[in-house]
Amino acid sequence: MQRIENIKFYILSALVLLLVACGGESDQGAEVESSLDNTQEILDFYDANPELITFATIDDLPNDLIWEEGMDQPEIGSPDAVKGGTYYEVLDDFPPTLRTIGPDSNFSSRSWIRDNYDMTWAMPHPNTNEYYPGMAEAWAISLERKTIYVKINPAARWTDGEAITSDDMLFAFYFYLSDHVQAPFTTNYFTTEYTNITKYDDLTFSITVPKAKPDMASRVLQSGPVPQHFYKEFGEDFPERYQWRYAPHAGAYYIDPDEIDMGVNIVLHRLKDWWAKDNRYFKYRYNPDRINLSVVRDTAKRYEAFRRGDTDIFRIATADVWYDNLPDNDPDVANGYIHKTTFYNGGPKSNWGLWINASRPFLDNQEVRLGIQYAANWELVISNYFRGDMDRLKTQNDGYAKFSHPTLTARPFDINKALEHFANAGFDRRGPDGILVNAEGQRLGFTLSTHYERFADVFTILKEEAIKAGLELRIEMMDGATGFRKAQEKRHDIYFVSFAASNEMYPRMWSYFHSVNAYDQAFLEDGSINPERTVKPQTNNLQSVAIAELDPLIDEYQDSDDKARMIELSHQIQQAHHDYGSFSPGFVQPFYWTAYWRWVKWPEEFNYKYSLYPYELFVHWIDEDARQKTRDAQDSDQPFEPHIAVYDQHRE
Amino acid sequence: MFNFNPQTLKKLRRFREIKRGYYSFVILAVFLVLSLIGELLINNRALIVSYEGELHYPTYSAFHPGTDFGLDYPYETNYRDLKQSFADQASGNWVLLPLVPYSPFENDASTGIFRPEPPEVEKKHYLGTDATSRDILARLFYGTRIALVFALGFMVSVYLIGVAVGCAMGYFGGMFDMLTQRLIEIWSNIPFLYMVIIVFSVIPDTFSVSTRILILLGVMVLFSWTSMTYYMRTETYKEKTRDYVAAAILIGSSNTRIVFRHILPNVLATLVTFMPFTIVAAIASITALDFLGFGLPPPTPSLGELLKQGTQTLRTAPWIIMSAFGALVVLLTLVTFIGEAIRESFDPKKFTTYR
Repeated sequence: MQRIENIKFYILSALVLLLVACGGESDQGAEVESSLDNTQEILDFYDANPELITFATIDDLPNDLIWEEGMDQPEIGSPDAVKGGTYYEVLDDFPPTLRTIGPDSNFSSRSWIRDNYDMTWAMPHPNTNEYYPGMAEAWAISLERKTIYVKINPAARWTDGEAITSDDMLFAFYFYLSDHVQAPFTTNYFTTEYTNITKYDDLTFSITVPKAKPDMASRVLQSGPVPQHFYKEFGEDFPERYQWRYAPHAGAYYIDPDEIDMGVNIVLHRLKDWWAKDNRYFKYRYNPDRINLSVVRDTAKRYEAFRRGDTDIFRIATADVWYDNLPDNDPDVANGYIHKTTFYNGGPKSNWGLWINASRPFLDNQEVRLGIQYAANWELVISNYFRGDMDRLKTQNDGYAKFSHPTLTARPFDINKALEHFANAGFDRRGPDGILVNAEGQRLGFTLSTHYERFADVFTILKEEAIKAGLELRIEMMDGATGFRKAQEKRHDIYFVSFAASNEMYPRMWSYFHSVNAYDQAFLEDGSINPERTVKPQTNNLQSVAIAELDPLIDEYQDSDDKARMIELSHQIQQAHHDYGSFSPGFVQPFYWTAYWRWVKWPEEFNYKYSLYPYELFVHWIDEDARQKTRDAQDSDQPFEPHIAVYDQHRE
Repeated sequence: MFNFNPQTLKKLRRFREIKRGYYSFVILAVFLVLSLIGELLINNRALIVSYEGELHYPTYSAFHPGTDFGLDYPYETNYRDLKQSFADQASGNWVLLPLVPYSPFENDASTGIFRPEPPEVEKKHYLGTDATSRDILARLFYGTRIALVFALGFMVSVYLIGVAVGCAMGYFGGMFDMLTQRLIEIWSNIPFLYMVIIVFSVIPDTFSVSTRILILLGVMVLFSWTSMTYYMRTETYKEKTRDYVAAAILIGSSNTRIVFRHILPNVLATLVTFMPFTIVAAIASITALDFLGFGLPPPTPSLGELLKQGTQTLRTAPWIIMSAFGALVVLLTLVTFIGEAIRESFDPKKFTTYR
């Protein structure tokens, strides 16, 4: 006990010291703040990089441009939507910072700090995938000049009321290319994906990209400016200085940093006079006046909070919650207090599967990899664990419309075929425990590593089934950072993971399948395998795919601006990858489940084709009267019409 | 075989008289012995298969592919199905299954969907099944066995180190005592749980499950032996100044002889009293680590993992948490009863006139 008292004393004194120290520092900071102004540095940067940053006049704008305004797309949201009310949501962790760029900024709850309601110049329509305007008023694409021209909407304002201008986009280049921002990925992106930005006037600019690609417009239209006036003090100490300041954006909600209850709660307020509030695509969206975000770290507790009505919407991820915790005959569901919907969405989705590292001993043998494919009983996982709701993934690149391979399918669970392939690799007899061994007595065993603890049961099923085919899978469960680092360093045998696909036009091939991302110098001059090659860490080629004949195809795919040729190449690459057998396609969820209290109202179609989350488009609204009525009805056990619906209009 | 001195015999008799502790000890001892032959009681391999006049004993032998018994698959025979099919054929072949015919690893979903199913005597799932339809009784049984063996191993290792270091400190004293004592103070201030989590998360995966359990044991011992040294050091100090030790030194006994023949037997009471509580602590820590997901690697059956499942399915499958919690309570209560009884029977005050 004495020891504990002592520890308490030390902690307290350390805290007091820390507080004193912090207080001193912030006082000093305030004095320095007023004198900081980086305007000159920015101008110097523009002067030093005339190739990258060009100043022109509006007369220099080419006059053969075809301007698109994107105003012919269907409206988004429901005309019935009513503004007002409070929408209660949960964060799974408290944000470590309010910055959405720089160190520690890739936290899980960042979507609520900004991403969910942020705007870009133009956005793909959630049903048609055609662009509709965000901050831009019009844009023009010139394939031969590899340039995208943008006219900014004169009404566009930052959340603090300042106008959005071309200078903010120029500043974005200064900002992201600076070392101070400490975001290597973004800096690299700006270095490699853009070659020039030209300012024509305050509301007109153009950006040039290095390669003409069918989807090159997305590089520019789905980017956004950075508020120059807000980052006046941007410098070496950017991460600390801007840690708890809320950067303006063009969206509908803002956070007042003074209102934040640290570690507990954050409130989003709707901008009452938002500049886009009457816009065709925004007028029925962003309906709740307040969004109350409270931190609940544990999934089970988040569910209980929802059941108590503390939060309004609950996204259900697993079958046991959907069928057992909240079955259709649950009193709250049967009485119509809680509604349940299944919404089938389109587009590329998370490609869950086994990423087999072909650089490891035995796994470098194609026969072993193919055997593993036949020994992975995904059918049983899908039918018995996911209760048949998931679909079997076909290839690593499903969901890219024409770019996905039309006929390839995953290999089924087949013990005899698995044994045949394993026997071809020398594993032709069973040891005393039923695991195959080769002539030297080596066991056919591999480690299946992962950091997805929520799928732990899937691995035990795969393990038990693989034993039937004489394959031993040792399960290694790691925490997120350690696990993914292991995979990035290519020290895994088999890794279970998915790469979340963003809604892009065509799949990425180079980073996953090109040999330069597998080894340092994978092949010798004559195309044979370099015996001294070493694996290359920190790339997405987790399967160490290195096929000499495949590289030229990927290079051509990477450089092509011809959509038809790219589709052809895409199919060839996927066929080669399928034959190589380093990816065992697992499952894909073709829908998302949502449970919500009846006071949350949705458009008639519920949601849009390319949505991944029910709330991401903010088409729902809160009916505060219904909230009160539901509460009263719960007290008096008075039922409403239950609502359990499947929206399969976008089912593929 | 053993030649106990009258003093010890008296204490043992006293222990037997404390019924609660004594019966707890008997129950636990019986369970330990049973668990050593657990494969004969709870297992999906049959005890005896009589196939075409020949007897097979698959429990401890190499695996039998289905083809051994006239089935059409090359992997491990499903003996429950085999029993059924032999019964249907009525050809004189028969299978004798263990009491609970399930292994702690296999998924046995009666509806074809992996989910918790309530206890059912007819299917021999006496405590129901867990979230992936594995038999809870089997997982509890083997989980408890691992926890107990782990705790015993933990206790023995901690005592070996703790007693050796503590005795040496107390016996030699002086500079050695001073330095070691400081080292121990520093060492014992390293937060144990964090260290276990850190060390265990960087262990290479190529090791087998049993090696990883051994490493976990090693790490836990490494950060737990210090508490024992305090008691041993003071006890040794105390005994060292007694006349009989002085006499032993006088007649020229070696240090080893004095420590092992004279001092250790006299401080044994302290040691024995602490033992059950060390076991309780070890079981609690391994369960806590498993609960947090840093303990035994899956799919090793464990109490902590069952508890975790139970908290996640409180509403839908209360039998999981009830089984796991019940087993833990019974286990810890039994050990605590034993501990109380030992403490009481070894209490020297019982025999003093000051009482």
